[in-house]
Amino acid sequence: MSGVNQRALVLLVAGFTVWSVGFVALYALQALGCAYEWPQHRAILIGADVVSLLPLIWLAMMKPVREGEPATSLSVTALWANRAALASGVLVFLPVTFVSACI
Amino acid sequence: MTDPIRLHKELSAIWGTPGRWGRLSSVNHTVLGKRFMVVALTFFAIGGFLSMLIRAQLATPNSAFIGPEIYNQIFTMHGTVMMFLFAIPMFEGFVIYMLPKMLGARDMAFPRLTAYGFWCYLFGGSILIIALLVGAAPDSGWFMYTPLSSRPYTPGINADVWLLGLTFVEISAVTAAIEIFISILKMRAPGMSLARMPLIGWYMLVTSGMMIVGFPPLILGAILLELERAFDLPFFDPTRGGDPLLWQHLFWLFGHPEVYIIFLPAAGALSTIIPVFAQRTILGYRSIIAAIVAMGFLSFGLWVHHMFTVGIPHLALAFFSAASALVAVPTAIQIFAWIGTLASGRPRWDIPMLYVAGFFCVFVIGGLTGVMLAMVPFNTQAHDSYFVVAHLHYVLVGGFVFPMLAGIYHWMPHISGRQSLYRLSVPAFWLIFVGFNLTFFLMHLTGLMGMPRRISTYPSNWGWDWLNLLSSIGGFILTMGFCLVLADLVLQWRFGRRYRRDPWKAQTLEWATATPPAPYNFAALPRVDRRADMLEPAEIGPVLAGGTGYLGFVRDGEQETLGVDMFTGEPEHVIVLPRRTFLPLWTALATASVFLALLFRQYWLVPFGALLTLGMFLLWPRTLGRREDTGPVDIGMGEQVPFDVESKSNASVLANLAALIMNGTLFTSLLFGALFLLVIAPNWDGVAPMSLPLWAGVVAIVLAIAGAALSWLARSRNAAGGEAMPWLIGSAVAMAAATVLLVLLMTLVPDPTGHARNAVVFTLLGYGALHTALGALMSAHGGWRIMQGYVSTRRSTEMTLAWLWCFYAAAASLLSVAMATLLSAAA
Repeated sequence: MSGVNQRALVLLVAGFTVWSVGFVALYALQALGCAYEWPQHRAILIGADVVSLLPLIWLAMMKPVREGEPATSLSVTALWANRAALASGVLVFLPVTFVSACI
Repeated sequence: MTDPIRLHKELSAIWGTPGRWGRLSSVNHTVLGKRFMVVALTFFAIGGFLSMLIRAQLATPNSAFIGPEIYNQIFTMHGTVMMFLFAIPMFEGFVIYMLPKMLGARDMAFPRLTAYGFWCYLFGGSILIIALLVGAAPDSGWFMYTPLSSRPYTPGINADVWLLGLTFVEISAVTAAIEIFISILKMRAPGMSLARMPLIGWYMLVTSGMMIVGFPPLILGAILLELERAFDLPFFDPTRGGDPLLWQHLFWLFGHPEVYIIFLPAAGALSTIIPVFAQRTILGYRSIIAAIVAMGFLSFGLWVHHMFTVGIPHLALAFFSAASALVAVPTAIQIFAWIGTLASGRPRWDIPMLYVAGFFCVFVIGGLTGVMLAMVPFNTQAHDSYFVVAHLHYVLVGGFVFPMLAGIYHWMPHISGRQSLYRLSVPAFWLIFVGFNLTFFLMHLTGLMGMPRRISTYPSNWGWDWLNLLSSIGGFILTMGFCLVLADLVLQWRFGRRYRRDPWKAQTLEWATATPPAPYNFAALPRVDRRADMLEPAEIGPVLAGGTGYLGFVRDGEQETLGVDMFTGEPEHVIVLPRRTFLPLWTALATASVFLALLFRQYWLVPFGALLTLGMFLLWPRTLGRREDTGPVDIGMGEQVPFDVESKSNASVLANLAALIMNGTLFTSLLFGALFLLVIAPNWDGVAPMSLPLWAGVVAIVLAIAGAALSWLARSRNAAGGEAMPWLIGSAVAMAAATVLLVLLMTLVPDPTGHARNAVVFTLLGYGALHTALGALMSAHGGWRIMQGYVSTRRSTEMTLAWLWCFYAAAASLLSVAMATLLSAAA
């Protein structure tokens, strides 16, 4: 039972941790691209957006418990938290595809 | 058969606090929680008094009541006191008092740290208030923007009071954060898995996690600004390669999560109170946990919405605008869960519910104006106007003060053992509710009419007169309401009617203690077999008081409680907590000497104060631990577990891990600052490359890595039953040598006051040197504990701690030197 709970706790924070890393990475790439005038700035930002969303999609589709293990309150919560993290990622990162990146 | 009276007397003798001067030695969480709350409420009264002066000044146009200089100090101190000296310590006090009782433990994980945190809070807060009384209070606004707060524009000690006083106070916040985090994970009643924890446990777990990563940026910012003010290192001076925006980033990286750090504990109180009065369990337990986690993360992604008008690209505006609006969703999930709980239950109205209703009205308005301000075009219009003042008061008073008052009325019987007579509480509520809305709703209008915040007066022909007058009248009505609440609480304490256990028919464990509670909380610890907000305290309480349960006895006159598996809540080890001592008080006084020496610019005294503080801390563990392996011991209920010193995942190891994560966040903020200046700050063109000897940096890194490897070897040798001492000595020597080299490199940095690049390199190397020195100290401490006989193959905590700190020091010195090298080449 400890293993199920441990896994659920890790999954509970996994989605939003990925979201946070993606958020910081995109903000940093936006600033660096503007400071050093990267020619492929938009493409890099969109690429980073996709790279951030892939693990979020994986986590949102992942079954919270392994075969034969009982689902707990925590594992169901983890699934919903990860789906929320995916929605947050799609919404917050979307502007990198169309908004002007530099002043 | 246990004799309950005898057990009570024996436990009270061990856990109790003596009278007279002995009270100052208390480390008991019940005593310290109450002290925190009383001091926080005293600061609240001071902050409230200041707000009266503000409203008196603004009541009429062209007012000459206090003048701009004093007014600047008063509004700065009002914000500072309310945010730092009232809101956070108030919830710390509540949690320190309540958490062990709710989770089924006898105290917090580190009682002496609780006491040390309290003294730091009291002393640091007193510095600020004394400065106010002598007219030297901070006057640059509660967020202390540079360059206004820099030495040329604030030359006195006013800004230093803020930076040093608050950093002193923040010690209590960071110690509380670690303690709350570890106590929740390790000190629950047996059987209380994470999935059975009451929701307030989840709220506090996330809040303490947020504090662990949220406070370090502010602490770093305060250190850097004080270094600039005291030693002229130009981190924020744009003429020498610094940037005032770095201060804003560091401040708001803390400042926005801070709002949620204040709101989440209050929401935890609501999630506990509402089911009691709805007479049903909370709706959406799992959704609320997911919402808390989402809020915990999303709240960090909003900090730039305080900087929408500083001139940043559209893309950054879009990021932070979207995240700012998005955080309303998990907030709304909780609000709908609370409304649903009330709608599907059988609500009974009582005083706490009045304040819950007040919360719903006020906080929802604050949330809606928050979504408005998250939108960039509207924000640009309303920025730094009274609309923002109105919004933040609706959020903070709605989100913290109203739930706090609900909580006070709900839990006061637990503290006092008496229930309110309710003669004054109803008019008090209406005065507060009406007074608050009269004061602050009108500020939305003055803000929309263009009145900027922080002005000390205004002309009479701009249409703001009657709105300000009504706001001021509302403010005085609000104060009358708080005075009535105070009178009501005093009357309750003195004349309230006594009651038997669990007056509200709540279903959480704190009501299973005696009221007022005994210093040990539970004569025996319960086993929880269901979700811990569905218990029957009135039935459990007498059973536990009779000594039936875990640890329902006294062993060797020690303060014992249980440590459990973090996930399942199964008993794992017996935690022996330290007894009362004056050490935390002396250590806090030693710490105060450092801050006072800095404040009065007696810098030669600082190293003595720092060494005295360090020496005091080294005295703390001298009698902790055991000199022999004991193996599993009886804990009652037919079960046996070992003592904590023989457990690998004990609270000390986890707390040090948490402290290192906090430290790592501070270091990451420093690295971010270095990169920010390199990429964004003006006046970096044409700076000559710096020629630091590369060999010294490389050798320092190699020595630090060798020190970490030797400490790992010491740990492995100890685990295998071998001799660890030589490896620890080697580790300490290697770390000390690395320190010497890094200090040597610091001396070679050309004029750190000349340019921000030099100042940052100097600071980075200083950070690395400090941590290799700490690594050396931890290895030496491990050796000292071996000599004292506190370490064996099974008792290996000190070996693990030495390895953790040395590993961190090696990583920190590697990154420090790497970043310093990168900056050295910048031109």
